[in-house]
Amino acid sequence: MPAPSTPPIDWQEVHAVAGAFRLAMPRTPIGGRLGERLGAGTGSSLEFQDYRQYAAGDDLRHVDWSAYARSEVLTVRLYREEVAPRIDLALDVSRSMRVNEKKALSYGAMAGLLACACGSTEADARVLTASAIEPRPFGRPEEIESFLACEAANSILEEGHIAFRRRSLRVVISDFLFPHDPDVLVGRLARDGSSLAILQITLPEEAEPVAEGGRRLLDVEGRGELDLVIDEKAVQEYRERFSRLRQGLARAARRAGGGFSHVIAGTPLRDVARALVAAGILESA
Amino acid sequence: MIFTAPWGLLALLGIPAIIAIHMFRRKFPPRPVAGLFLWQTLRQTPEGGGKITKLPITASLILECLAALALALILAGARLEPASVNEHLVVLLDDSASMSATNARNESPRDRAVRRIEDEIERLGRGVRVTLVLSGDRPAVLLGPAALAIEARPALARWKPEAQHHSLALGLRLARELASKTGRLIVFSDAPPDVRGASAIEGVRWLSMGERLQNIGITSAQRTLTPSEGRGTLSLALGNFSGEAAKRQLRLVANQDGGKEILVRDLDVPPGTSSLNLPVPAGLPAVTASLSNDALARDNDVTLVEPRPQIVAVENRLPEGRARDALARALSSIAGTTRAEQGQLSFGPAAALDQPAQPGVWRVGFGRAPARLLTPGDPQDFIGPFVPEKRHPLLQGVTLAGVVWSGALPIASKNVRPIVSSGDHPLIAMLGTKPDDGVLFNVDLDKTNLVRAPDWPILVSNLVELRRQNLPGPERWNYRVGEWVRARLATDPKGQLHYKCGTLDRPLPHGRTMEFIAPPNCALLQIMEGNETLFELGVNFLDESETNLSDRDTSETGKLDSQAAGTRTETGPESDPLFWTLLVVGGLAMLGNWCWLGAARSGA
Repeated sequence: MPAPSTPPIDWQEVHAVAGAFRLAMPRTPIGGRLGERLGAGTGSSLEFQDYRQYAAGDDLRHVDWSAYARSEVLTVRLYREEVAPRIDLALDVSRSMRVNEKKALSYGAMAGLLACACGSTEADARVLTASAIEPRPFGRPEEIESFLACEAANSILEEGHIAFRRRSLRVVISDFLFPHDPDVLVGRLARDGSSLAILQITLPEEAEPVAEGGRRLLDVEGRGELDLVIDEKAVQEYRERFSRLRQGLARAARRAGGGFSHVIAGTPLRDVARALVAAGILESA
Repeated sequence: MIFTAPWGLLALLGIPAIIAIHMFRRKFPPRPVAGLFLWQTLRQTPEGGGKITKLPITASLILECLAALALALILAGARLEPASVNEHLVVLLDDSASMSATNARNESPRDRAVRRIEDEIERLGRGVRVTLVLSGDRPAVLLGPAALAIEARPALARWKPEAQHHSLALGLRLARELASKTGRLIVFSDAPPDVRGASAIEGVRWLSMGERLQNIGITSAQRTLTPSEGRGTLSLALGNFSGEAAKRQLRLVANQDGGKEILVRDLDVPPGTSSLNLPVPAGLPAVTASLSNDALARDNDVTLVEPRPQIVAVENRLPEGRARDALARALSSIAGTTRAEQGQLSFGPAAALDQPAQPGVWRVGFGRAPARLLTPGDPQDFIGPFVPEKRHPLLQGVTLAGVVWSGALPIASKNVRPIVSSGDHPLIAMLGTKPDDGVLFNVDLDKTNLVRAPDWPILVSNLVELRRQNLPGPERWNYRVGEWVRARLATDPKGQLHYKCGTLDRPLPHGRTMEFIAPPNCALLQIMEGNETLFELGVNFLDESETNLSDRDTSETGKLDSQAAGTRTETGPESDPLFWTLLVVGGLAMLGNWCWLGAARSGA
C-alpha cells in the first residue's frame, strides 16, 4: 500500500517521549543572540561559573570585593553566558522517505521527536527541505508536519547548496540512500557549523534484506528499474555495500565531531530516543 | 477487405513475438526501492527466463500488438475495396502521311481523329485507361499500355503522321495484344478497312476520318549525270489524282549558297501520272524540287543529290576466241564499266586463280581449275538439273534454263564453296568465303551454249554489280524513306561514324560497311566520320499510295467489344481510406506506447 505523501504523526506518543529529552548542546561555543540557554563560555548571566584575577578592562561590577578584603588580590567573578542556539533541521523530503507506510510513519515520528527536542531548547530553529525553498522557522513542534510532504525527486542533501547558518546546530534526517561519498557529504554538512547530528532512518529490508527471489526493483525516485534475482549472494553483496555506506557516514560524522545514529523504521519511539541519547544527539531534560 | 500483397501478412507473426516477449519479461513482481544504486552493481539476471507466467495484459502490450497489427495490414496492402476496374481504350492510329492531308478548312483526318478520341475519353470518364498504338512497318506504342486519361492529350499532340504507305495489320495485331480481353479497340484511319486490306476486324471499331481530296504530288524522282556532256537531268514523276488537269508551279532550288533558285516553271499537270525532265547543271551537290502547296504537303518536295557514278574497271584476260568475244559483248552492254589493264574485276583462265591476286582485284576464272582443286576423272556435260544457291547475289535473275554446261571437270566440294552444282559437281564456285577470293566457272566456254543463253549477260552483269557494290562509296545517292542505305569505306574509319538527318543524329557501327534504314523527316542525310562529312545522300518521301487521296472516305465500321472486362488498375495506397486509418492507428499506438513507457519509467 503506498504511503501518504505527508506521514501522519502520533503527537500524543511523541510528546510523551519527547518530554524527557532535549537536544544536546555542544561543548564548543555556539552562536546566537542572548537568551536563556547557558552557553559554553563566560557571559553575563546570573549563574556563577568561576573566579580569575582582575585584568585591565574587566567590569568593576564583577570584582569580588569580599575576596579582595581577605586576600588583597583583585579577583573578578565569572558568570556563565546565556545564548539562544541556532538550530538548522535538514529534512529529506524525497519520495524515498515514504517508500512504504512503515517508513513514513517512523520518519514522521522521529521528525516530531526532534522538533520537540528543538522546541524545548528555546532555540532559533529553522527547517530546510530544499535549496530552492527558503528555510522556514517553526515555533510549535506540530508545525513540523507541514514540512514533511515527501514528493521531491531528490533529497536536499544531494543538492549543491544547503543554506545552513554559521555556527548553527545542524540536525539532518535522511535515509542517505542515494549515491554519495560520506566524507564529502558530511564535510559539507558540518562546515562552519557548531555541531552536527546525523540521523539515518531505513526500513529493516533496506538495512538487512533477505533473499526473496526474482523482483523487478523500481526506484521510487525514478532512477530506473532492474530485474534481479535476490538470492543469498545478492543479499550478502547488498548488505556489505549498505554497511559500508552506514559506517562511512558514522566515521565521517565522528571526524566532524558530530553524532550519528541509524534508526530502523518500526523501532518504538522511546527506544529511538534512547539511541539518540546514546549517540549524543539528545540529552535528558 | 482484400490484400494486394498477402505475403505481408507474415508480419502478423510479430504479434505472438510481442506476446512472448511480454510473457517472459514481466515475470518478476515489482518492488519499489529507495536505493536502487545499491543493487545495480550486483549480477543482473537475464530478462528471459524459463518460467512462463500469466500474461500481464498491460497497456504496453495492447498498444504494441495494435501497432504490429496495423503495420502488418499496411504491409499486406489491405484495401477495403478490390482494385478498381476501368474502361481500357486501345486506339490504333494510322500513322501514314495521308492522315495529315488538309482540306479547305485546313483540317486533316488526324485533327478529326484527335478530337474524336478526346470525346471518347470524355464520354468514358476520367478513370478510363488509354493505350495509343502507331501503325507502321514497325508498330509502336505512343502511349501506355493503359495510361491515365490525362496523359492522352499531350501524347496526341505529339502525333504527326508522316509514315509511308503500310498495312495496318501489324499495328492491329499489336493493338489486339495490348487490348487483350480487357480493352476496347478503335482504329482511326483515313480509309475504310477494305481499302487498307484489314479483313479481320471483329470486335474492332474502325473509324475512317478521311476525306476525298484532290492532290498532286511527286511520286518518283531521279537525278542522273552525263559526265561526258557535263550536264545532269532531274526526272520527276507527278501524280495527279484529282481527276482533272491542274496547274501547279514547280521551283527548283540549289541547296548550296543559301538556296539559289535555279528554275521556276508553271505546269499543267494532266490527270494520272506524268513525267517531267528538267536540266540541272553538273556539279550542284543537292537540289530541291518543290510543287506549290496542296492537300498533302509531304509529297510536294524532293531533294536529290548529284550521283557520283562508280565505274568498275574490268579486265578481259581470256584468250582470243569465242569466249573472249562473248565476254566483251556482255560487258559492252553494262553501264558504268571501263576496260583496264589492271582492273578491279579480272576475267581470265581458271588456272590463274592459283596465283596470288593483286589487292582490290576480284578474279573470275573460266575453264580448267587449278590442279589442287581437281579430283581424278574426265570432263562431263550437264543439262540439269542445276542446284543454285538461290539467295546468292550472283544468281539474281539467273535460271540456267536450256543451258548445256559442258566440260566440267570433277572438283571436290570441300575445296570450294559451290554456288551452282549439278549432283556433286560444283559448276560455279567461290574459292573462299568471299568473292574477292576468286570465282570459278567450271565450264568450257568454247563448248557450252551458256555464252549464247540469256543467263550469260545476267551472270556477267551480276558479277560487275557485285563488284560495284563493294567499291567504296554509297550504293546509291538518293533513297526513299524506309529504304536500306548501304555504303562502304575504302579504309577503316578512325573516328566515330554517325549520320545526321535534319535534327536526327545517330551513331553507326564501327567498320568499313554501314547499313541502316533511311529515316523519315529529312531531305539530306550526311554520313560522317567525326566532324567530317563522308557522303551526302538524298532521302525523299515518294509514295504514290499516300499521294492518292481519291479513295479516302469518312465511315464507321464494326462494333466495340461489349465483352471487354475493363482493366483492373491498382492505385496507390493513398486512395484507400483503410491505409490512412491503419497508418493513424499504428502511429498513435506507437506514440502512445512510447508515452506510456516514458510515464511508467518516470513514475517508477
